[in-house]
Amino acid sequence: MSEALLEVEDLRVGFAAGGLEVRAVDGVSFSVAPGNTLAIIGESGSGKTVSCRAIMGLLPSGANINGSARLRGTELIGLSDSEMRKHRGSDMAMVFQDPARSLNPTIRVGLQIAEAIRTHHTVSKREAQTQAVELLRLVRIPAAERRFHEYPHQLSGGMRQRVMIAMALACRPKLLIADEATTALDVTTQAQIMELLLDLQEELDMALIMISHDLGLAASYADEVIVMYAGKIVEQAPAAQLFGAGGAVRMRYTRALLDAIPHMERPAHAELPIVGGRPPDPTALPPGCSFAPRCHHAQDDCREKVPALAEHAPGHRWACWHPCENGGAA
Amino acid sequence: MALPIPEGSATTALPTLATAAPPPLPSLVSSRQLRMQRIGRSLRLWIPVSILGVIIFTAFIWPLVYTLPSPTNGNILDAGLPPFSPGHLLGTDPVGVDLFSYYVYGTQTSLEIAVGTTIIGMAIGCAIGVTAAFAGGWVDAVLSRVLDILIAFPALILVLVVSYALGPSKLHLTYALAFFSIPVFGRVARGATLVLRSSPFMTAARLSGTRNWRIIARHIMPNILPGIISFSLLGLGLVIIIEGAIDFLGQGIEPPQPSLGQAIAQGQTTMTATPEYVLMPSIGLLILVIALNMFGDALRERWGVQ
Amino acid sequence: MTVPQQNATPAGEPLLSARDVVQEFVVRERGGAKAGVVQAVSSVSFDVMPGETVGIVGETGSGKSTLARAILQSPRPKSGSVVFRGTELTKLRGRQLLQARRNMQFVFQDPFGSLDPKWRVRSIVEEPLIAYHVGNRASRRKRVDELLDIVGLDPARYAKRHPRELSGGQAQRVAIARAVALEPSLLICDEAVSSLDVLIQAQVLNVFERLRKDLGLSYVFIAHDLALVKQVSDRVAVMYLGKLCETGPGESVYRKPLHPYTRGLLDSIPSTEPGAARASATVKGEPPSPINPPSGCRFRTRCPRATDLCADEEPLPRELAPGHLVACHFPLTEAAPAAAANGEAQGTAQNTAAAGTAQPTTSKAVS
Repeated sequence: MSEALLEVEDLRVGFAAGGLEVRAVDGVSFSVAPGNTLAIIGESGSGKTVSCRAIMGLLPSGANINGSARLRGTELIGLSDSEMRKHRGSDMAMVFQDPARSLNPTIRVGLQIAEAIRTHHTVSKREAQTQAVELLRLVRIPAAERRFHEYPHQLSGGMRQRVMIAMALACRPKLLIADEATTALDVTTQAQIMELLLDLQEELDMALIMISHDLGLAASYADEVIVMYAGKIVEQAPAAQLFGAGGAVRMRYTRALLDAIPHMERPAHAELPIVGGRPPDPTALPPGCSFAPRCHHAQDDCREKVPALAEHAPGHRWACWHPCENGGAA
Repeated sequence: MALPIPEGSATTALPTLATAAPPPLPSLVSSRQLRMQRIGRSLRLWIPVSILGVIIFTAFIWPLVYTLPSPTNGNILDAGLPPFSPGHLLGTDPVGVDLFSYYVYGTQTSLEIAVGTTIIGMAIGCAIGVTAAFAGGWVDAVLSRVLDILIAFPALILVLVVSYALGPSKLHLTYALAFFSIPVFGRVARGATLVLRSSPFMTAARLSGTRNWRIIARHIMPNILPGIISFSLLGLGLVIIIEGAIDFLGQGIEPPQPSLGQAIAQGQTTMTATPEYVLMPSIGLLILVIALNMFGDALRERWGVQ
Repeated sequence: MTVPQQNATPAGEPLLSARDVVQEFVVRERGGAKAGVVQAVSSVSFDVMPGETVGIVGETGSGKSTLARAILQSPRPKSGSVVFRGTELTKLRGRQLLQARRNMQFVFQDPFGSLDPKWRVRSIVEEPLIAYHVGNRASRRKRVDELLDIVGLDPARYAKRHPRELSGGQAQRVAIARAVALEPSLLICDEAVSSLDVLIQAQVLNVFERLRKDLGLSYVFIAHDLALVKQVSDRVAVMYLGKLCETGPGESVYRKPLHPYTRGLLDSIPSTEPGAARASATVKGEPPSPINPPSGCRFRTRCPRATDLCADEEPLPRELAPGHLVACHFPLTEAAPAAAANGEAQGTAQNTAAAGTAQPTTSKAVS
């Protein structure tokens, strides 16, 4: 078995908010092989963003983090901020959803990239700026030298996201985490950015973790897919296995997601199969399976015992006491 | 269709076979942490409320219950007594006036003026500000300029002039100070209303057919009032200080009428020789202002105002 | 339950008819000097028949939301005509506009933004009834309960709540209940489900469908999600930079898109269908600025089929299939134009998939 780039084991994250305990991440384990693309899919409150921020050390100080996340053998959980800073940017980097808020509006974009470079390498300002222009070219921004001098508000959403990616790649990290990086973009721009990311992956031999709520993105671009609900992983499989012809989505929640997404093939005005209710309150998780209160197929054991995530088929793990029959809706 | 799940440990890089359903998770966040959060929230509200309660009680209710020595006429023979002297809890001033009584009645006066000023300022200022922001266009332009002009006036001089013109009295001083606070509230109200104007629910209200006056009364006011009230609490302390300065300059409250602001202003003159005359009322005012600010913050926390 | 809406429009007449609607915004510099004019909507025309759902699809800057607001007269379009139930809305003011607009309602994108945070659900839904003096307090109360039921919210549990005690999906349902309180004929939904989670989105969409069937509502459904629009609409209109590229029956537009932009949009969508091709970025480059849109066809700067003709002459909508209009000099029924600036259409039927391939362009440089 090849050496995994990132190994996460039993990650748990909790907060105290307003006098109640919020269980944001509840025992999450996965690994990412070098050069691979992992998609973490979930709705709001599923814990997908919190898990990755925990790995990057970007959670507020009030957060309680347990478990392990090893990047090439180095344990990341529990490192001090200064130690994390050595890894952030050089070994792993993160790109966020809203580039308008991540970029400083008062500094020219080129200089921001140069600053990112100089954080990790001791190079002269001139050298950093040259490298910055190179990075702008790497992310396929046309007229890179001219764009270097522009301010964020002069760039379009897609361009800003490319600048963010350039900053993230300043030190050629081996792992890039894209947290809803294309959610705020138009679909045509999204396609461009995704193509860029995949090409960069090949060029730089970089692993990519895509966090999103869009199963389509996972189907189109990911090697491996993880579906999260209420802080736990409920299904995990290679994308081809999950979405391919004769694809086998097993966990009821994933099935519900797939059915609820508008499909081009569906006739107009079709009544959608719906799942009522809302995601559980993270301060008051139900006993048993977190999805049971909303699941049409829930039975007594679902409500009493939490189903464990187990590999019931080669490469395919799911956590469900009464999963779908093979091949789809059952 | 439960598949048999083998027991076994999972120490390989990719956990393939997990154990059976794990036991209930130990709480990640200690219950101590949770309790501290809850207690902190309560304290942040009840501490300032208690302090304010004590101050208000002492200033307004206590004198009705217990006869205090006169705050204006003192027995010169009792001049300069130190605190905790018999019959004079905080001592007396150089002319024999009982300091505790002076501060109590002074706080009454100052609070009445400050609250009166704030209420007038809020009422008129909000009316102008909300109208300006809601109407937009030239109405906004004109009203904004009016507010700008009022703000541009050197406040102290303005208040002095008005005071002089109207003559010294508590009421006139209130009017004069209100003059100064109107534009401030006007700006705040206008800003808050502008933010609301772009909210979808305002458009939705208009599309529902609701008339303008009703939109202002039922949509705008309830939403900006919490912020404005919070803001006004912060201003109360400032008004008291300014009022004191006015008194000191000869307008406003004439001595020997008691006023907290006056006490501070006068105490300053003997700061080196007898610092307690300025320290005591100043500390009192400090506590009042801090309590008001904490109260304002706690209200914001509960009302969810930015 | 109310009976399906009887429209004041005679049979065969459109419920809503927009002609050459133009909306512009002046962009000012810091000091107030005019820096340019955003041509948000440029001469857009379309109809909505009674009982029909028209979906408007477009990306950022397409002008779809601005178009929706222009139809509502909030703000009034700079020019053009909007005829609703036989009445020209652009000429009305004040009271008259209020009356005419009674039958047209709006659902916003942000479910919480469209509800006054200080009001309770009951008052929120009651507001239009009060504004139009419908019934008395008792009858209004009953109606509010009815409306909450229609959208799937139990009045006993939800009528007294504040918006902050609701989830996104519930809040949007309250907004919908308010919107149908006056039994409108037309509901304009501007990205009404875009901010909701997928499962909740499906719930709210079903509410729309139920209302459509039970109340005979017509919709103008605006979204950037193509699959979503296709699912809810009878007809679809695709907008780009203030202009309509393509309009037609949903199935027709999706199975045989005729405009290169529509094709490009469809190619970009990542799909979960088994065996679907991976999404590809056939639309290259950046969207141009709406302040200075490209001359002629606005899509030409990113179009693989553009030629000089596209820069010189603006393509007008032509009906190339039943009910299916396209504004393009080289729609996808024909072979891609040769490198020379010549617009002769080849007679051969072209595989639509091949139409997306890059063609040597002779388009003028982008501004």
